Amino acid sequence: MVEISVEKRLKSFTLSVDFRVEKREYLTVIGRSGAGKSTLAKILAGVEKADLGSIRLNGEEISQLPPERRRISYLPQGSSLFPHMTVLENLLFPLKVKGKKDFSAVIELSEKFRIDGILTRKPREISGGEAQRVALARALLSEPEVIVLDEPLNQLDFFTKVELVKELKGLKGKTTVIHVTHDPLEVMELSDRVLLLERGKVSFLGSWRELLERGEGELPSTIRKFFLSL
Amino acid sequence: MRLFQFLIFSLSFLLFAFITVPVLNLFFVDKHLLFETLKDDEVWGALITTLKGAAFSTILGTLLGVPAAYLLSEYEFKGKEFLESLLNLPIVIPHVAVGVVLLKLLNGKSFLGSLFSHFGITFVDTIYGVVVAMCFVSISYVTVSALLGFRSVDRNLIWSARSLGATPFQVFRFIVFPLTFPYILRGALLSFARAVSEVGALLIIAYYPITAPILMYERFEDYGLKAATPVALLVVLFSLLIFTALLTLSSFLERKNG
Repeated sequence: MVEISVEKRLKSFTLSVDFRVEKREYLTVIGRSGAGKSTLAKILAGVEKADLGSIRLNGEEISQLPPERRRISYLPQGSSLFPHMTVLENLLFPLKVKGKKDFSAVIELSEKFRIDGILTRKPREISGGEAQRVALARALLSEPEVIVLDEPLNQLDFFTKVELVKELKGLKGKTTVIHVTHDPLEVMELSDRVLLLERGKVSFLGSWRELLERGEGELPSTIRKFFLSL
Repeated sequence: MRLFQFLIFSLSFLLFAFITVPVLNLFFVDKHLLFETLKDDEVWGALITTLKGAAFSTILGTLLGVPAAYLLSEYEFKGKEFLESLLNLPIVIPHVAVGVVLLKLLNGKSFLGSLFSHFGITFVDTIYGVVVAMCFVSISYVTVSALLGFRSVDRNLIWSARSLGATPFQVFRFIVFPLTFPYILRGALLSFARAVSEVGALLIIAYYPITAPILMYERFEDYGLKAATPVALLVVLFSLLIFTALLTLSSFLERKNG
């Protein structure tokens, strides 16, 4: 379980959130561009500092810990694969830095994510979809308690996105995921709950069906209209 | 449009001709004099001193420049912009003035000069003087190049690596340094090339042990253009050889890094 209660002054408003994500829950975070979603993801990962507040993971305060000790794996927007390493070296990275010698999980996950045929290739030699699958497998190999995904499928074509959503669905119920997205498909297919962020505040937290039925304000109403038009 | 293209092509052609024609013209050298030069121990001694001085000055410059570049790229502090602009100071100071500055600081009677002399190191007319002068005039190239390299590393990679469990040192060792290495190598190569060609500062602080550019200058002064040309040809050939080898290595590493 992750309990997040943080504040950070941004350019035109203050990001101020207080919510809880249950163990093995899949939470999607939506909101307009610039609502503070990516900043929230970075604060959770520890690559940006909050001005004040706390983050508790299974009861332990982790907001003062460096990213490598938080047990939160973070996939930032865009490519995060190390370009000078092969796919296999990328996958081995989390094990190497922790001094682990058991590589069986690498084989298992590379088969599961269908990347076992591209292990010797460099990131520039694989497709965007493959790169995200490698990044996901690598994130899992670090054995995190929580995975934070910041628009991981953003730059992919629709068909690849549908495939990747299936892969992400495989994470449901197995690990805690906080997934920042703009995409209704991802929200509907993946969310246990949706968090709607508006100008740095949580304006809704519940299932996406509840968001459509009861969500108040401009954004839920726009989303509702969008779904009704389908 | 055609006139524009014509101008672009013509001016580019002129630029490349301007660089290559004088160098190629060197090859039209008196063969007898060239053979004499090849047998001349003083020339080989000067070449070795030059390469030795440039190699040590490049190593020293890299050892000092790379950590400074990392500091400037990673940390925020007051006066950072000023320090960054200081990096270009050695390039803008006339090199004879560099010689004067270094001689004033490091001569046997100065504080630093006498301090180093306790360890058997003196700078006037010694290889140490050659290395220090070469290092001063060339250190900016490796430092600025390393700074550009460190700044070119995508922050996403650093954040990902940290969240995958890597400590800041592991991030530097496995991600930042390998990705920056081609920049450092290219900067070191430019520093080396700059050090090899140094004359002004060496004339003042370390005329001896004589380096190839100073020998060239001396031969020109004493015997004229004909005597200086074969030495110049040898220096240019050596420089081109090293330049090509290191540039190939640098491009290979850049391709390898994707």
